[in-house]
Amino acid sequence: MLRYMKKYWWMGVVAAMFMVLEVSADLYQPGVMAVIVDDGILGGAGGSPDIALIEREGLKMILVVVLGGFSGVMCGLFANLCGQHFAGDVRKASFRKIMHFSFSQTDTYSTGSLITRLTNDITQIQNFVMQFMRGVVRCLMYSIVGSWCLLSLDISFRTVVWIAIPMILVITGLIILRTSPMFSVLQAKLDHLNSVIEENVNGIRVVRAFVQEDREKKRFEDANQSLVDTQMKVLVLISWLRPLMNIIINLAIVAILWIGAGRARAGSMQPGTIMAAVTYMSQILNGMMMLAMIFQTLSRGIASWRRVSEVLQTEPVIQDGEEAEEPAEVGTISFRDVSFAYPGIHTKVLHGINLDIHSGETLAIVGATGCGKSTLASLIPRFYDATEGTVLVDGRDVKSYPLQELRNKVTVVLQKSELFSTTIRDNIAIGKSGATDEEIRAAAVTAQADGFIMQQPGGYDTAVAEGGMSLSGGQRQRIAIARALLRKSEILIMDDSTSALDLETEAALNRALAERPGQMTRIIIAQRIASVRHADRIAVLDKGAVLACGTHDELYESCPVYRDICDSQLGQGGMTA
Amino acid sequence: MSTQNSTPSSRVAARGFGRRFPGERGAVEKPADRKKTIARLVHYFKPELPMVFVLMVVTVIGVVASVVAPALQSSAIDAIDDTDFGDIPRMLIAMAAAYLIYGISLLIQGYISAALSQRIIRKLRNDLFSKIVDLPLRYLDSHSHGDIMSRLTNDAENISDVISSSLSTLFSGILTLVGTLAFMLYYNVPLTLLSCTTIIAVVLVIKFLGKYMSRYYVKRQILLGEVNGDVEEKVTDFRTVTAYNQQESVIENFEKESDSLCRTGIIADVLGGSVGPIMNMLNNCTFVIVAVFGAWFAVRGWITIGVISAFIIYAKQFSRPINDLSQLYGQIETALAGAERIFTLLDEAGEDKSGTVRMTDPEGVIEFRHVNFSYIPGKQVIRDFNLKVDKGRKIALVGSTGSGKTTIINLLMRFYNIDSGEITLDGVNIHDIKCTDLRNDIGIVLQDTVLFTDTVKNNLEYGARRKDGSPAVTQEELEQAARMSNCDTVVAALPQGYDTVLTQAGASLSQGQRQLLAIGRAFLSDPRILILDEATSSVDTRTEKNIQDAMVNLMKNRTSLIIAHRLSTIQDADEIVVMDHGRIVETGNHEQLLRAKGAYYRLYMTQFAGKVT
Repeated sequence: MLRYMKKYWWMGVVAAMFMVLEVSADLYQPGVMAVIVDDGILGGAGGSPDIALIEREGLKMILVVVLGGFSGVMCGLFANLCGQHFAGDVRKASFRKIMHFSFSQTDTYSTGSLITRLTNDITQIQNFVMQFMRGVVRCLMYSIVGSWCLLSLDISFRTVVWIAIPMILVITGLIILRTSPMFSVLQAKLDHLNSVIEENVNGIRVVRAFVQEDREKKRFEDANQSLVDTQMKVLVLISWLRPLMNIIINLAIVAILWIGAGRARAGSMQPGTIMAAVTYMSQILNGMMMLAMIFQTLSRGIASWRRVSEVLQTEPVIQDGEEAEEPAEVGTISFRDVSFAYPGIHTKVLHGINLDIHSGETLAIVGATGCGKSTLASLIPRFYDATEGTVLVDGRDVKSYPLQELRNKVTVVLQKSELFSTTIRDNIAIGKSGATDEEIRAAAVTAQADGFIMQQPGGYDTAVAEGGMSLSGGQRQRIAIARALLRKSEILIMDDSTSALDLETEAALNRALAERPGQMTRIIIAQRIASVRHADRIAVLDKGAVLACGTHDELYESCPVYRDICDSQLGQGGMTA
Repeated sequence: MSTQNSTPSSRVAARGFGRRFPGERGAVEKPADRKKTIARLVHYFKPELPMVFVLMVVTVIGVVASVVAPALQSSAIDAIDDTDFGDIPRMLIAMAAAYLIYGISLLIQGYISAALSQRIIRKLRNDLFSKIVDLPLRYLDSHSHGDIMSRLTNDAENISDVISSSLSTLFSGILTLVGTLAFMLYYNVPLTLLSCTTIIAVVLVIKFLGKYMSRYYVKRQILLGEVNGDVEEKVTDFRTVTAYNQQESVIENFEKESDSLCRTGIIADVLGGSVGPIMNMLNNCTFVIVAVFGAWFAVRGWITIGVISAFIIYAKQFSRPINDLSQLYGQIETALAGAERIFTLLDEAGEDKSGTVRMTDPEGVIEFRHVNFSYIPGKQVIRDFNLKVDKGRKIALVGSTGSGKTTIINLLMRFYNIDSGEITLDGVNIHDIKCTDLRNDIGIVLQDTVLFTDTVKNNLEYGARRKDGSPAVTQEELEQAARMSNCDTVVAALPQGYDTVLTQAGASLSQGQRQLLAIGRAFLSDPRILILDEATSSVDTRTEKNIQDAMVNLMKNRTSLIIAHRLSTIQDADEIVVMDHGRIVETGNHEQLLRAKGAYYRLYMTQFAGKVT
């Protein structure tokens, strides 16, 4: 992840340089102040203050301070530029990564967790980086310069420094060791909270319909309580840091005074030296306190860092193929001994599938719920890779294609029509970048969507946001189909994507599809026999295997399962071919 | 027109609403709102008053200790200076004690602030969530879900951070300021006033910067909400993005949003970060002013030199809290920006749940009388809809896509309120019936099934009512409902059966399997009225037939309302209602309607013919 820092490290360096200036001004300023007090106010000739000296030194001090202030602002600016750009890049890179995940990979992370990682975790990292940039130089300078000066004053203070500083480091270390794993737990709890919210917002109709508001509130309160408890534990641990440091450093000051008093009594030390030693010790305290604050964000930052790294380091399991040989055929699909099991689940969903789909053919797949129809289709555009066997498109192993190319060849209309919050036009245009209005319109006409789109208040420019309220399931499906048709790819898979269409509309859609120029291989997954009976061939899938394959008439005669399906839909034997 | 707003896709569609119309943002930037926001935030502290009180007491003790200790320290140094070593051990012990007390007070402050922040944030989050569960569907259907989530997490967290990290600093800062000011006034008024000139400058700077800061802090929270919204939408609909090779354009759009968040964040933080150094500068100016004018006064003999040194110490003391407070300024601004967003959501009107008539075991007679409805004013979806459903009848709603079938369900469930006319259950206007009773009486299976990340058992038991008050659904009841809905085969294939936790809200199940579970859930809730809205659209017809056979017993003497495109699903219904453009065009049973050779006949023929030629 550090490589995201490469581009911006110089900003960090500039910020650090300004920070050195700012701290130098801060360290220089008390000296001037001391001159004003000691020589100007107290030490003036004849016991009265030396106004000229005060004005001169005062001006100098203001200049120093203005320089320091300017450096402070600049340091802030560069630290911000660096931190926010870095975080921005990490956010973008993570989003890019997630968008290129394979389906099985998003299945393993939950949506809620991915969202937390992209938002909250990255904010934590950003906070840490910025605080680190702005603070680390300052506190190191304070601590090191302070310790150096203290030690150079009188070697007898060494013992105090040697005891106090390791103690502080040990305590800080211990607390960080304890809190660091807790922050991982904290972020996981935040994931859970996010998931509960997400499920509720999305499933609100079911919550309301089953009058489960109280149950959901309870579920949320539990998630909330558990998050709060963890957070409380962390905060309590961290709240020890500041008081302990304060006590240690201040006791160190007492010790210095004690030693100093002894040495002064012996006549080997001036009171001024003791005063300076106390001042330096407070400086060390300041530095250490800031360090503690930084470490506090550090341990949270590290927990978040790990979670984001996990995303960034996940390599998509499904990668582009290498070969670039010309495909032998156009529009053919073959399954050769294909078996498939979802990752982490042992039971196979598909067993030894062998199926050839010819160019320009319309193949329908029917079968009972859960028999693997959608899974079979999702192997063609490589949403998942077959566990065994090979899937060929145009006579070439799908794994040999660059993904982009394969998915341009194969268009899938998903079971769930997902529309984005933009205009209807843009929702259709997702199919093909740079599509003209005519093309979009033509696709919508074929998809039987043009009619209702034109009835929308803004036609094609209606924001789906506004229209979301008045778009029905069937209308959404037709927009999704238009989106797919716009791509004019050689293979079109319709995964139960006309289920919400009434039969008339579906029939009109089929007619329009048949009239379309050009050749297209189609795979139709459907429950309604009416949707599939005019397909060139129908494959009957049963428990993950192809039971039979043929035309409607053939199957009706030869395949009892198929006949069963037909009869269940067409009533008491009313169906004759 | 029918609406399936419940479905994720349309809410996805609806999501951009808030984003698209930036006018909505304007309201939160008014300063009047800011005062109100603070007042409301303070309100949350009310139940925690004892804690706040203890915190204040401890802070006062801490402040006193932090003043006493340095005083002891300087007198110890003075003593060394005067070579008066007799008192030193005593002084040092007192000093150590003062520092210990200070340290302990810091510890207690930290603990109380943490507890306070967590209690308040818990309350705030719970309130917000309760609000969300109570919001009208119209609101949820039209607002970005990611943005709502951002309010519950990011905005709430900013508030808790401020409380835990800065509340006691705020207290002690103000305390120190006031105390110091009092001492200064006591010593010399003109010099105090002169020192205060810089305070005026401080106020001016804060006012000037504050205006821009709050604007950018609010803007940043809004952008953060938008980025969250985008993340949520794109991660949820990731499959479509992948299927259409849209990764690059989606990423490009996200990068734009992320960049604008980044830019706004930089401006906000640079503004916030510059407050500290500027305050530091002003403080040092105070020192110079005190030194110059003090010396000038002293030359004229108006004040003693001792007063000057006292003032110098005070001026220093003054600078610390001002510095601390100005460091916090940005954080507080962020929190307030978040609080405004939270309160805006909390102020949304809740769902209309009025109605007092109890109805726990109705006959199930439903009647629609002259019902009119539109989602968007002027775009009527249901027109003069009249329908009476008698007890124990099985009614089917059919009609072309968008003819208003699902809307009827939305109205019956009181998800949306009708514009005119009335809907009655057992002769009582549903508006007068206790909303929870009404919904308890109705079992519903929606087209796009919603499952929760929980065990299969809990998903099935969701909403199961126990009339006899027994604590839970028995295993037999559970298994029976599973058998009837045919989801027992789905369950059997899962590794831990009923105890399998559905990850990702059941994303690993197929659409049809999810529907079977949803049907099982509705069966188990044992409703008087059952609504199936395209509930079996992804279930194969043979399984569907089994479910229907099982339902015959279950729904004896109960009312059911079925929406389906597959005519086989509905052809044995007692009455089939054919809808078109929000009106009823035909009613009757299967045979009657076929004989009538009207709209239903045409639908039926398409089904048989497949392709109309």
